[in-house]
Amino acid sequence: MEPLDIELQDGELELPTDPMLIQMGPSHPAMHGTIRIVVELSGETITKADVQIGFLHRGFEKMCERGDWTQCFPYVDRLNYASPMLNNVGFALAVEKMLGVTVPIRCQHYRVVLGELARICDHLVCSGAMAMELGAFTPFLYFTKAREIIWDVFEEETGARVTHSFGRVGGMADEPTADFKDMVRSGLPAVMALVEDGEKLLLENRIFLDRIENVGVVSREDAIALGWTGVVLRSTGAAYDVRKAHPYLSYDQFDFDVPVGSTGDCYDRFMCRQEEMRQSVRIIEQALEVMADDGPINIDDPRIVLPEKERVYNSIEGTIQHFKIVMEGVKVPAGECYSYTEAGNGELGFYIVSDGSGTPYRVRIRPPSFASTQALSDMIVGGMVPDVVPAFGSLNMIGGECDH
Amino acid sequence: MSGAEVFLSLIKIVIVIGFLLSMAAMAVWADRRQSAMLQDRVGPNRAVVNLPWWLARALMIGPAWLVAGLVSVPMWFGVTSAEVLPKVSAGVQFGILVGWFSLLLLSNYIRKHGSRGPVDRAIAAVDPRAYFYGGLILHLTALLLLPLLPKSMWQIAAKGWGWPFPETIQLATGLSGTFVAVVICSSALYAASKIEQGSTVGLRLAGTLHSVADAIKLIWKEDLRPRNADKLLYGLAPLLAMFPALVTFAVLPFGNTMCFVDTIDKATKKANGVLDFGELTNLASTVAANGQCAKGQIAVGLQVADLNVGLLYIFAIAGTGIIGAALAGWASDNKFALLGGLRATSQMVSYEVALGLSIVGMLMVTGSVHMGSIVDWQGANAWGIFVQPLGFLLFLTAVVAETKRVPFDQPEGESELVAGYFLEYSGMKFGLFFMGEYAEFVFSSALLVTLFFGGYHLPFIDPDGIRIVLGSSVIFEQSLQHWAVTLIHVGAFFGKTIVVMWLHVFIRWTLPRFRYDQVMKLGWTKLLPLALVNILLTGIVLLGCMDASPRVAVALDWAADLSQAFVALAAFGAVIWMITGLLDTPKRPTYRSSSSARYAAAAGGVKAGDMQA
Repeated sequence: MEPLDIELQDGELELPTDPMLIQMGPSHPAMHGTIRIVVELSGETITKADVQIGFLHRGFEKMCERGDWTQCFPYVDRLNYASPMLNNVGFALAVEKMLGVTVPIRCQHYRVVLGELARICDHLVCSGAMAMELGAFTPFLYFTKAREIIWDVFEEETGARVTHSFGRVGGMADEPTADFKDMVRSGLPAVMALVEDGEKLLLENRIFLDRIENVGVVSREDAIALGWTGVVLRSTGAAYDVRKAHPYLSYDQFDFDVPVGSTGDCYDRFMCRQEEMRQSVRIIEQALEVMADDGPINIDDPRIVLPEKERVYNSIEGTIQHFKIVMEGVKVPAGECYSYTEAGNGELGFYIVSDGSGTPYRVRIRPPSFASTQALSDMIVGGMVPDVVPAFGSLNMIGGECDH
Repeated sequence: MSGAEVFLSLIKIVIVIGFLLSMAAMAVWADRRQSAMLQDRVGPNRAVVNLPWWLARALMIGPAWLVAGLVSVPMWFGVTSAEVLPKVSAGVQFGILVGWFSLLLLSNYIRKHGSRGPVDRAIAAVDPRAYFYGGLILHLTALLLLPLLPKSMWQIAAKGWGWPFPETIQLATGLSGTFVAVVICSSALYAASKIEQGSTVGLRLAGTLHSVADAIKLIWKEDLRPRNADKLLYGLAPLLAMFPALVTFAVLPFGNTMCFVDTIDKATKKANGVLDFGELTNLASTVAANGQCAKGQIAVGLQVADLNVGLLYIFAIAGTGIIGAALAGWASDNKFALLGGLRATSQMVSYEVALGLSIVGMLMVTGSVHMGSIVDWQGANAWGIFVQPLGFLLFLTAVVAETKRVPFDQPEGESELVAGYFLEYSGMKFGLFFMGEYAEFVFSSALLVTLFFGGYHLPFIDPDGIRIVLGSSVIFEQSLQHWAVTLIHVGAFFGKTIVVMWLHVFIRWTLPRFRYDQVMKLGWTKLLPLALVNILLTGIVLLGCMDASPRVAVALDWAADLSQAFVALAAFGAVIWMITGLLDTPKRPTYRSSSSARYAAAAGGVKAGDMQA
């Protein structure tokens, strides 16, 4: 036998190694936003990661160009399906900005309350799903149970549990029900009690903290450069919240804090979300306090808002008004505008162009999770396979809005 | 080994495997039920066996009558004056138990299905907890009062009326036994009368049938094999995963040694020294306090194989469980499975070390690796958890890691590796992995019970009866028959195993998953040194105790008895707390439900408090 022709140092063993390529997704338990990550592994350490989005692309923007403005609401429901109400309100605000109208103050409060409820839902889903993927199933079940209470409110108000399509240009589809305030006031303590139960299981648990502390760190500068907004940005220390920086609706009337993190790791993102839920509860309580029990919900403009059914069937004016809006759509004056709100994941922007007909000429969305997802590969390279789970989970990437 | 012994061994094997498999199904059910409870929803309960009314009635009446007969008939024969008190006492206790329990069941049934007569209304009118408390008070009163009656009371009574003594006693005990039998039979009949003729009764067993049905369903599922998988190893892996759990249970003793009297052959005037089939009914009536069989009796241990090297055998066989996971990961030609197999192998190998070392302290204290000796030592002194608290914690951690359950389920962590090493398996091969995992989980609970929770021993129950001892003073004494003690011990072992399984399920639903490197760090840098420290400390304490004065021995004796008393009280309190908790009316959420839910409730669609899938 020939002697081996390799020089070996002491304790060094040469083995032929190839990096292992693993396709995580698109159908993978942790890739719940429908995303694919092609990771190159050395052992369990990730040396390269290729994040591929687009598996939930449905041509939302193109679809919007086919109907009238009101017919976009079901589409925007399905952008961030964890908090559809915020998308509804965001889109309605964009069109109203083009029209140059402002909804009545009662409607503004109503939108704020519903929107903040949706925000709590959104954070519950994100935090719960992240905990579940780390193996903590019980907090997830607590959080979904809490979300169920909020969904009951939505069901009562809108008739639908997830995709409400409840927003309208110039108001909402319906008045608040008589039980609205009671339901929210009695439901919120139950929600927060469940949230605290779940938190107790997580935040006093060394295993959970070890999994999320100093994992997926993004610096403040990087976050701003990447175009991050929302919770993920605030977790890095930048206190930018659209509700504070550029108040819309009646947010400037309410007293609430913007929770800010320091290191920008998964722990900070988790904690910011938990704290934001509490701030949302504060806003809801204040808004319910000042919200009037009666008064108009929709603006008083026959060119924008559908008449009541009674008038449609009993008067010729009502019939014509109904016909015009349904057949031709709301005539938004020609022009373009960019409107942005604070959605569950961050700044949700709508850039809309109108040519003066009743149909949108162009609807462009600026989804918050599109910006946050582009940092994913940098966040996970150098970490281990298990670190993908909290890093991806804490970004709350939602395929519906990301793949626009 | 005689034919009768082989026969007994077969029965023991059937008991052990039956327990393992049924408990594996129960554990699956408990795991899933737990998640359902967190959300106020019904867990797995779809599987149902529809029984015709006559079969349901027969199932209600038959066993009850059998029990009644077993209780009452022996009371009519051969009662000596020494046996009066224990027999009457046992009969009365049993009667009280049957009484309050059947009242509870009946009141629950009537509350659900509505009352049909004055008796029903009277039963349902009382708070169910009152039945339990009443029964408990009656139990204690009977236990305390009956021994106070002078033993000669019956004799005096008989003399006063001029009746022959033995017959009077026979009559009295026989009548009391019959009374108990009548109570049992009549409550069974009353319950059976609630089943209408011509109806069918769905037997769900609280949903436990669901996981059994799931396992059966797997048999008919398509068995897929990846094209490039290694055919032999791919098929072999599930068997290897299932095998260790079934085999290791063999050395765990699940009851005390049973003594059979060896009949003396009339021709040779000698006992033949082996167990014959005819002698299977000759169970000794009592045994000595130390549990040793007397001369002329044949001992039959309640474990499948009584090995000298019991614990070593367990470690040797359990170690082969790794091979199953490793082979499955390698043979199924899938990167996720390969990673899972790698993780499983390294994790199990690492924790095997901590597992082995954490138990060394216990071995030093008991001075044996023979499972029976370890259990007997705990019965005679104190439970392992009090002697080796640190060892217990380390062993518990390592055993959870060995069974690959949360928080140590990296090898199959579904959010990372989809399903880990058994990712490609389907059908019954997957079922074997699944059942193997849960069987291992049952086995590890049983092992924990054997090593740290006194095995089949209960505090103050000696082989010859109940004896409450503190230090050198006997507080209470009550002799029991050999068969009764055996039943209690076997029940205690399986009951304790179920409690420890519940602990496992509880851990699984409380803790999140470690990261893979954190698991390794925990195993090698925390558990291993701690196990070594435990051995060192145990050695020091043992050496100290060896040369200590007799006072220390007395103090240790007291401490051991106190620990037994503590266990007894804690168990008693826990049982009462659990039963009252079960009888408590559940609290419904107080927030307002949506109108659709209210409409549904008003239309009778959703019955509050009733289980519906």
